[in-house]
Amino acid sequence: MTAFLTSWLASVPTFAVPLLLASVGLILSERAGILSLGAEGYMAVGAMTAAIAALSGLGLGVAAVAAVAAGAALALVFGIAVVVFRADQILAGLAAVALGVGFTGVVGRSYLHKPFAGLAPLDLGRLADIPLVGPLLFRQDLLAYVAIALTVAAWGFLWRSRAGLAWRAVGEDPATADVAGVDVQAVQLAAVLVSGGFGGLAGAYLALAGSEVWVDGMVAGRGWIALALVIFARWDPARALLGALVFGGVEALLPRLMAIGVAVPVYLMSMLPYLLTIVVLVAAGAARVRRLAEPAALARPYIRQDRR
Amino acid sequence: MLDRITLERRQDAGLGREAATFAGGLGLGLGLAALVLVASGVPAAALVQELVVQVFLTPGGLAQTVTIATPLVLAGLASALAMRVRFWNIGIEGQLWLGAIGASGIALNDIGPEPLRLALMLAAAAVLGAAWIGVPLVFRLRLGVSEIVLTLLLSNVAFLLLQHLVFGVWHDPANNFPVSAPFDAAERLARLGLGNVNAGLFVALAAAGLAAVLVGRTRLGFAAAATGQNPVAARAAGLPVTAAIAAMVLLSGAAAGLAGGLIVAGTEYRLTQYVGLNATFSGIVVAFVARFHPLGVVVAAAALAGLYNAGATLKVFYGLSDAVVVLIQGIVLTSLLVAQFFGAYRIAVSARRLAA
Repeated sequence: MTAFLTSWLASVPTFAVPLLLASVGLILSERAGILSLGAEGYMAVGAMTAAIAALSGLGLGVAAVAAVAAGAALALVFGIAVVVFRADQILAGLAAVALGVGFTGVVGRSYLHKPFAGLAPLDLGRLADIPLVGPLLFRQDLLAYVAIALTVAAWGFLWRSRAGLAWRAVGEDPATADVAGVDVQAVQLAAVLVSGGFGGLAGAYLALAGSEVWVDGMVAGRGWIALALVIFARWDPARALLGALVFGGVEALLPRLMAIGVAVPVYLMSMLPYLLTIVVLVAAGAARVRRLAEPAALARPYIRQDRR
Repeated sequence: MLDRITLERRQDAGLGREAATFAGGLGLGLGLAALVLVASGVPAAALVQELVVQVFLTPGGLAQTVTIATPLVLAGLASALAMRVRFWNIGIEGQLWLGAIGASGIALNDIGPEPLRLALMLAAAAVLGAAWIGVPLVFRLRLGVSEIVLTLLLSNVAFLLLQHLVFGVWHDPANNFPVSAPFDAAERLARLGLGNVNAGLFVALAAAGLAAVLVGRTRLGFAAAATGQNPVAARAAGLPVTAAIAAMVLLSGAAAGLAGGLIVAGTEYRLTQYVGLNATFSGIVVAFVARFHPLGVVVAAAALAGLYNAGATLKVFYGLSDAVVVLIQGIVLTSLLVAQFFGAYRIAVSARRLAA
């Protein structure tokens, strides 16, 4: 039993880290009032770019940076459409997913199913021998620790910095922020780019630490779960960490159960993360907590000349 | 950042400007899409041949285009009907799968007398599609939960349910692939003598016609339009806002479910994993290009079906990925969205910086 629990816990980050990175990026974007449905697309371009860079022998560090840049580049297209041209954020977000998934399908075709050596877990000595939680906490790859650091940084930025306050003000009441001298468009564009970078890094984790190969459709809906996690986390990076662990834990359970030979209805069990998300969303709706946390100006294009 | 540029909302873009921005956006999108195709190795001279002549003007190509268009019309209607009341149905694929499951359930278990079997299958498809969207509808109306994420997540649940069935109880033992047993002759829609084109085409066209009457000529359509414009004002005016939302959204789910029923009863003749058609995004693109008008949906669905059809050819002859069709849809939708800006706003550039 202990062995099972230990191996299960050790595999949780594989599933939790991409969700964490993508949802923290989305939280940063939504806090500035921009609803980004594009995470699935950002993750796809990130994963493919990281895989191509790794296959080209550029090194894993370069691969991760290139993935961030690729996610941000796709986000820039979305950002120009919604921030500069005030396009509908839901439709533009869906279009961004199509651009990302379509682009990776076309460009990634010559790199399909070519394995490469990915990230190895760090060696932190004896710490990893701690029973139960040792491997979970101390035998992960560098990107997993980077993801935690970025989450803490995002939390600190939003709640403990002046720039973060301006950022949140834009999401709550852009007109007031504008009057106070905040450049609403610049903040929103920055927020979109950052969310794209986070999504790209989430994709890089999938490719470099997870599959170690590029496969079409390997993001497999994680971008959408990340979107739900944002609501679960009530737009707070710290709670996103908790949520990602819960969701990653549920996802990680299935392969572990199959590995020890438990006969499980695979497809019904795979519904668990989605059903869990739905239960959480509905419970949040029933408890009326959602409206208190959602940025008030989310998905509303800001025009200075509008009367309000 | 752009202090010298001010934007003013236009009260009404006017028909001419509306048409010009739409044509501009569509032209820009298609132009960029053509560049993508040329950059991927399709000779520019072959574009018209592959994208227009082959898929619309040859009997075989046209037959395949019409076959693909049949469920796309219903997917487009599913998006357009829900958008009438500003309900984001981002789970068209899920309702489509439930429809396919419903129709297959009737066929595989031989429920009902044979002469009524097809009607029962399509009815089950529509009912299950409506039931699947009923879940987010109820949560939205009762608890105010956003339908965007819920409809999306339920799509994934629906696909897993379909996989559970085709890998499990419904798996055809005579087949290595995850598919159900084939349907009987009485459970297949009649072919019309042109490739795979089948009687489902009439179902889809009738649905589009009925939807056009519904949104344009009925009290429900009027209440729905008012609700979509401004639910508070509509409620204040005494219109049945909740009922209008519920009716339009359930019809949206029914249309998507029917699309799934038509695919299994009209072309696949069994339940497979490949009935999805990327229907959620395709439906939204079709509805958006059609400006959410049911008859426009028919035209837009035909155009997109031609693109899907051409995509299959490009894959074989030029080694392009299927994903190129998704990429083109993304490009066209993005440029249409950006173009709308020029219809919605008047841009004024002031000569000097405004004093802060």
